[in-house]
This record gives sequence, C-alpha cells and structure tokens, in this order.
Amino acid sequence: MGIIDVRNATFSYGRENVFENIDLEINAGEVFCLFGPNGCGKSTLILCMLGVLPLSNGQISLGNRNVRGMKPSEVAKVAAYIPQSHEKPFPYKAIDVVLMGRTAHTATFSPPSPADRKIAEEALEKVGIAEFRDRPYTQLSGGETQLVLVARALAQQTPILIMDEPTAHLDFRNELNFLETIVNLVKDSGLTIIMATHFPNHAFYFEGTGVQSGLALMNNRNISVKGNPLEVLTEENMEHVFNIKSKIISYTWKNETLRQIVPLETF
Amino acid sequence: MIALLVAGPVLIILVSLFIGRYPLSVSEVFTTLGFRMGLVQADIPATHITVVWDVRLPRAILGAMVGASLAVSGASFQGMFRNPLVSANILGVTSGAGFGAALAIIMFDGQTFFIYLFAFAFGLLAVILSYLIGTTYKATPTVMLVLGGVVVSSIFSALISLLKYIADPFDQLPSIVFWLMGSLASARFTDIVIAAIPMLIGVVGLLLMRWRLNVLSLGDIEARALGLNVFIAKSLAIFFATLATAGAVCVSGVIGWVGLVIPHIGRMLVGNNNEALIPVTISLGAGYLVIVDNIARTLTGSEIPLGILTSLIGGPFFIYLIRRTKARGW
Repeated sequence: MGIIDVRNATFSYGRENVFENIDLEINAGEVFCLFGPNGCGKSTLILCMLGVLPLSNGQISLGNRNVRGMKPSEVAKVAAYIPQSHEKPFPYKAIDVVLMGRTAHTATFSPPSPADRKIAEEALEKVGIAEFRDRPYTQLSGGETQLVLVARALAQQTPILIMDEPTAHLDFRNELNFLETIVNLVKDSGLTIIMATHFPNHAFYFEGTGVQSGLALMNNRNISVKGNPLEVLTEENMEHVFNIKSKIISYTWKNETLRQIVPLETF
Repeated sequence: MIALLVAGPVLIILVSLFIGRYPLSVSEVFTTLGFRMGLVQADIPATHITVVWDVRLPRAILGAMVGASLAVSGASFQGMFRNPLVSANILGVTSGAGFGAALAIIMFDGQTFFIYLFAFAFGLLAVILSYLIGTTYKATPTVMLVLGGVVVSSIFSALISLLKYIADPFDQLPSIVFWLMGSLASARFTDIVIAAIPMLIGVVGLLLMRWRLNVLSLGDIEARALGLNVFIAKSLAIFFATLATAGAVCVSGVIGWVGLVIPHIGRMLVGNNNEALIPVTISLGAGYLVIVDNIARTLTGSEIPLGILTSLIGGPFFIYLIRRTKARGW
C-alpha cells in the first residue's frame, strides 16, 4: 500500500463529475507528477487528497488513514500544500509566512513557540532564501515567493508535499531552480512529492536526476495511463490526449542519457 | 514594548482628569484620587469628588475601552476578510445596535439599562443574521458574508428611519438622534461594569488568537491546508470582534472610523503581522478615543457628540494615510 492511496475516487460539483473512479497509488519517497490538459481535474484531486474537498464516492488514504476522518490539523502533519497561485493578502515578512507552516502545531489561543520559530528559520535556510527573511513577501518575485511557500511547507515537517502547478508563473531559470530544490529535498529528506504540472518534461527531468519518479496522465475525468515517464509519455499518448504530434528525443549530459518530449504540431 | 503599550493609554487617562470646564489643579486631582482610593486623609470638596471620580475618570476609562474595542475588532475583521478597508460595521453590528437603542428609547422611555440591553442584543442579532446569509451559499463564503452584512445593515437602517418617523418628536426623536451620534457623556462606573464584560471578553479573545488571524488571512483553502479548522477559527474571531463592538456601541452609540483609522496607523508603525498589530491597535485605539473625547467635551461650551468628531478627524486623516502609504502597497 502506498503512502497515498486513491481508491475508486469520484468527485462532483452538483451533478457534473469532475473525475470518476480514479485509482492511484503513490509510494513513499517518490516524485509523482500528475499531468493532463487544463480543466482535467488535477487541482480538484489534489484538494481531495488534502481533505479540503470531500469525495462524492470512493476513498483516499493518507499515510494509511482515511483522509475523511482526519482533522485539518492531522492532515497538515502528514501532507503540506503548495498552491498554484498564492494571493498575498498583506505584506507579511517572508519569515512570518514560513512560520504559518506551524499552524497545526500550535493551539488556538497561543502563538508559535520558540521551537516553532526555530523550525521556520531552518526551513527558510534549507531552501536557500534566508536573505529574504525580513523582506515583505509582496516585494519578492514569483520564483522567490514560490520558494517561501516551499519553506512554509517544509516548516510543517510532513513526509508528503503536494503541489499544484508550482512552476506555472516562474521564468526559465526559476523553474529549473525550483525543480532542483525539490530534487534535493527528496534526496536529502526522503520526502514524497505529488506535483500537478502542465509540463511533461518535468517528469523526464525528475527521472534524469535519478530520483524514483512516477507519472499519471489524467484525461476525460479519469487517469488514462500511469507508470514511469517513459511508459506514459509516449508519442501515441500525446496524440491521444492532447491532439498533438510530438517527438521524444534523447541526448547525453554528464554521461547520462536523458529525454525530452518536443511538441511539433496540433491537428 | 508591552510596558509602553500599557503606559500610553494610562497616561492619557490620567491627563484627561485635568481637562475640562471645571478647573482643578494637579494637587487637587491627585488628592481627590488618593482620597477615593483610601490612600490620603483629607478634606475634599464634594464637587471635586464628583468631577474627578464620578465624571472624568469613568468617562476616560470607558473611552479607552470603547476605543480599544472598536480598533481591535476593525483590525481583526480586516485580517479575516483579507481586506484592509473593512471595519466592524461591515457585518451590521452598528446599525443593528442603533435599531435596538432606538427601540428601547421608544418602548422604555430611554432607560439606560434597556438601551444597553437592546443595543447589545440587536447588534449581536445583526451579525448572526449576516452570518446565516453568508453561509447559505458555500462557494464564496467571504463575499457572501460581506454581502449579508450589507443587506442586514440596510434593513436595520430602514427600521431606524421608521422608528424615528413614529417617535415622539419632542422627546424620543432627539434622544434617538443624539444616541446615534455617539457620546460617552452618560458614562458612570456602574455602566462601565456592565459594558466592560463583553468588551473585555472580546478584546482579550482577539488578543489571544491574534496569530491565528494571520493564518486566516491566507484564505480558506490555504488556512485549512495549514491545519486550521477554518469554520471554528473564523466563527470564534467573529464572535470576539462582535462582542467587543456590540459592548462598545451599546454604551457609546455610533462612533465611526476608529476601527478603520487606528489599525492603519498600527500597520504603518509595526507592519501587518497581527502578532504585533493587535496589541498596538488596542493601545492606540484606547489612547485615541480618550484624546478625541477630551476634545469633544472641551472644544465648545456645550459638548460636541463624539461620533461627529471621530468622523471629522477620521475621514480626512484616512485620506492622508492612504496617500502616504500608497507606495507601500497594502
């Protein structure tokens, strides 16, 4: 049984099913990409995994417990969430935002303890942005903000990080920097990562770094294929799901054979 | 820092004991205080005791509590609703309380106890109604909550107009109008005790959960994913903020702008982290309202209603603040 186990999961808004009968098993220590076209239900599935939205049918276990029976604070000790877009309500300092990762560990009427504050400082350092500690995070760039949110997730000290298109608003370098940060976290701390993404090459990137990587292709309210990147990201599947012609190319970098998928034309 | 936050309002309360139409020297004020506290044996004129102990002191203390309550609930609502431009009025507390007071003035001949009771009860009722409207449609809870507040406010405003229309124009109508303008003129120690209970519960509650307000400001989904039971936390915060506001409004009438201006001065001074902002807001609000009340009761021969002054000062000052802080982008 995986660290996250999705069994026969169906979610609907009203009568419309967003996704139906999804089965998914994600193993501890894995980087798992959830890939699929816009509006295929990736974000909804992620919110169901976190217990934010309730499934209409089926069940999701998080670390062997049904997420439905877990309190928000219990979920937040197992899985941390990095949202796709984070609206900044007030110009909090970066460290204040990271400290909010300790919410599940503080009582209603007490502020975070000195130990919580220390954990937040360490998380900030771990993602390499200690220099932004006292900056209002409204002044940080998209990439820097995303790293603040990763630090916040690390401050939760969970075995699982769940991310919703975390690189969607990042430029070329920041995207790569973000992916490198993730890979280091998996290698150093043995975290499990679930990441919804629009970019198939993220899965190839993770595979190329040698971390255990999995991928599910979500389409038409369901998961059409899952497995390792090479099995899932085939030219046929791209044609089938996205209606595009594409080509898988191989290249060599540091004596390793790596892959990328290149989109060629729509039809 | 804590010492400063406490000392500021206390000092302002002390100073306001010297301010007023009836002139008293420093030693007269202190001997009167000492006499009433049983520290000094002296022959004090009865007028001095009345002026210092029965009028100025309770009024200043009440002013500090009302100011603190209005300011801190404003700051909390701003955090919860992720909007620096809302204040306690947003959920209809003020118009509900106004209606309650007007009703008590007509039904019970303006007996103070019933005015307090009705103002408080209808203030709470207004928020409960806004909250019920806000939770009927789950998809956009915050927008619906604010919308609920707008609807409830306008209904109670209409009801206030109705009561004004049917009130006795020589006796009741002036009382209603005067109550709605806001004033601390009727403050006595007995009043302070009744109104202090909800205000203290509200202010202390918000002070204790101030860090949670930061998390709530991230929005429902993120706050929940961070481990917060959003429904409970938000309900608690609204409950405390409402208690504080309703407690303040029932003794002081409608005093506008404190909940908007004071939190913003706080944001300029210590930033937006509610851990620091909430205590600073409490202290600033307490000091501010005592000062404005001193102006209200000394500026002219007959007293100016406090609510008029807070709006006259608050409105332009708020514009000034917005212009000054534009670059900092809250």
